Amino acid sequence: MAALQRVAQSSVSTTASSYGSCKGGATSSFSAANEMAVSDRFPAGLRVLVVDDDTTCLRILEVLLGRCAYQVTACSQATVALNLLRERKGCFDVVLSDVHMPDMDGFKLLEHVGLEMDLPVIMMSADGRTSAVMQGIKHGACDYLIKPIHEAELKNIWQHVVRKKWNGNKELDHSGSLEDNDRNKRGNSDVEYTSSVNEGTEVILKGPKKRSNAKEDDDGDMESDDPSTSKKPRVVWSVELHQQFVSAVNQLGLDKAVPKRILELMNVPGLSRENVASHLQKFRLYLKRLAQQQSGISNGFCGPVESNGKLGSLGRFDIQALAASGQIPPQTLAVLQAELLGQPAGNLVPAMDQPAILHASLQGPKRAPVEHGVPFVQPLIKCQSNVSKHFPQSIIPAEDVSSGFGSWRSNSLSTVAPSNNLGGLATHNGSMLMDIMQQEQRQHKKTQQQSVLTESSRLINVQPSCLVVPAQSSTSFQAGNSPASVNQSCSFNRSTVIDYSILSAQSNNSSLNIGHIPTGNLKTPSILDGYSAPGSVPSTSCSVNAGNNTSHQNSAVPFCDSRQLPGVLHDMSNIQGLYVDKSGEMLDQGPLRNLGFVGKETGIPSQFAVDDFESQVSNLNRGKIYVENNGNPVKEEPSMNLVDNAKVGIPILQEFSCSDFMSVFTE
Amino acid sequence: MLGLGADRLRADMNRLLAMLFHQGVLDEQFLQLQQLQDESSPNFVSEVVNIYFHESEKLLKNLRELLMDREFSDYKKMGTHLNQFMGSSSSIGAKRIRNVCVAFRAASEHNNRAGCLRALEVLEHEYCYLKNKLHELFQIEQQRVLAAGVRYPMQNN
Repeated sequence: MAALQRVAQSSVSTTASSYGSCKGGATSSFSAANEMAVSDRFPAGLRVLVVDDDTTCLRILEVLLGRCAYQVTACSQATVALNLLRERKGCFDVVLSDVHMPDMDGFKLLEHVGLEMDLPVIMMSADGRTSAVMQGIKHGACDYLIKPIHEAELKNIWQHVVRKKWNGNKELDHSGSLEDNDRNKRGNSDVEYTSSVNEGTEVILKGPKKRSNAKEDDDGDMESDDPSTSKKPRVVWSVELHQQFVSAVNQLGLDKAVPKRILELMNVPGLSRENVASHLQKFRLYLKRLAQQQSGISNGFCGPVESNGKLGSLGRFDIQALAASGQIPPQTLAVLQAELLGQPAGNLVPAMDQPAILHASLQGPKRAPVEHGVPFVQPLIKCQSNVSKHFPQSIIPAEDVSSGFGSWRSNSLSTVAPSNNLGGLATHNGSMLMDIMQQEQRQHKKTQQQSVLTESSRLINVQPSCLVVPAQSSTSFQAGNSPASVNQSCSFNRSTVIDYSILSAQSNNSSLNIGHIPTGNLKTPSILDGYSAPGSVPSTSCSVNAGNNTSHQNSAVPFCDSRQLPGVLHDMSNIQGLYVDKSGEMLDQGPLRNLGFVGKETGIPSQFAVDDFESQVSNLNRGKIYVENNGNPVKEEPSMNLVDNAKVGIPILQEFSCSDFMSVFTE
Repeated sequence: MLGLGADRLRADMNRLLAMLFHQGVLDEQFLQLQQLQDESSPNFVSEVVNIYFHESEKLLKNLRELLMDREFSDYKKMGTHLNQFMGSSSSIGAKRIRNVCVAFRAASEHNNRAGCLRALEVLEHEYCYLKNKLHELFQIEQQRVLAAGVRYPMQNN
């Protein structure tokens, strides 16, 4: 016993000491996993925490897991394990826990882990009776292994890690889009702006909350809620309901908000204290996660993984626009788009401030339903007059963030402006795009383009500042949330804030990208891109974009409507073309996704761009299907290579990814 | 000569193992355990089995104490101990002990005190038998390693 204990401790310490480094290694392998599902090394290095009071089993498991090349931390007490998990958030990918433990029941541990860190938990027990296994399922275990445990079973546990992430992403999407979609269809098919506004709001608000639930919902398709609440009728936290909830919380103060008081303040018949309690818990977790993400701390796992999953998904949709042409020098481009992103921080904030949120959403919302064809929404628009004029419809580039992303919080959007040159060029681009794109889209684009041209500059929209801010901060990408930047070149303006992007491209623009985008190209100053994706990606991307940029730009616009899409996706835009959307799954991958695609730069850009659009567009409309397709590619290419594109259909773009770009402008 | 001794000892081990398998005392899980023993953990099997003995003795003692309380036996706690016992026994391949645990648990679920006592006695008997046999096995193994160990250094020198 003593020996075992020692072993466990030493392993723990090992982990700790190597944490820094490990993080990196693990992270990278993880991202790879996200991207490609399977990379050369992937399951190796998976960080596993094993908890079992039975030291015999613990020792055997430790060796078995070591055989699978996982990085194992063994712990013989549940309470110690929980503390370890709390202290080192993001340092574990999966938890393997015994069911019966003297200090804390395995199910209790499972609940804590599920609520606090959202890690996949695999239960183990010698008790393989149906009732025992059923209990594990009800508590949310992602698997239940019956002792004796064989190496073959452990070799496969990485799948839960990947699945969890994917599901997490999907959830987000679903939460945003699916429900909204359904609601729209059911309720008002003709969506009014107002209504849409609300929806937008909802989405935003919901995003977070859902996120936490997501796994349950996704898991089974069965829509079972949390284990704890599975037997109760499911409460749908509509936008309105959530708003009431948030205002009650605000009224009470987050720290002092208790389910009972919230319930009293909300005064909604049929809502139980338990419903509120669980929602509150999720809401808090959500806030916490956002805060973490923003802070950027280690991404390593936490960051990326979690965020991606969650945040990322939010963010994913974005769009951008951009333009520019490399080849065509003179021109410039314009366009832009929107974006979205979910920036975490931003989100939080917004969430808290309802006003802000609402505001944002209102602006954004216009999105219109997809059905209409017009996909755009207007974002906020601060734009100047110019913008508005041009896009009367609102069309514009903005996106809806909301819908698509429920997750996003931010909305974003924007439009972009064009630069001077555009005129001619724009047209060209336009045409190309048009071909590809759907008519509607085309129209929009044209419009946009035109407008762009006309306007010359300015654009921008900004959106809620709140959002923006975060993004900036993030510069780093960390989260991946957001990102994006925009760039615009020349013209832009004002807006401060965020927005998107646009890229102008002038030539190079390398910027686009992701990652870092560079400000350089863009004039805009701040930018960020966020990509969750790994840092590396970004860089790459940058270059690519540039070429493409030029052409596309417009595209972005359309996306907004994510709602319609069920799936989600959003992505959109892009200018360059690329983008990807990843839809659900793809998104899920989280980190990867960001990347997007990229296209190649060179010449072809416009065409490509077009393609992209199409795909994107289609995605929107169609929803998942397309997305999926895209997704595959995306996954494969995390890095952004062309190859995928091909599959996807996107030709040249490479990178890019992400969709999310947000840009910010500071002005 | 020494090498031959080592081979003979290996044969003895195999015979003993075959007998234990035949009797149903052990199952293939024990072989899995042996496969986990490699250069990085040369004494893995005996290490794990010793941990198992140590834990099992505590469990047996706890079970006996629970059953000795005539007025009120905590069957639920007994079930928890038995689950653990089952888990560790099955993990090292102690098949017969595991089977007795299953019967014991069934008796405890029915609050069948007499059944539990009988099961406990069988369990203790099985445990002793396993412990003796495995100790025998490890002794042979140690001798074999010694026999082999004497030879290798000589070759190396």
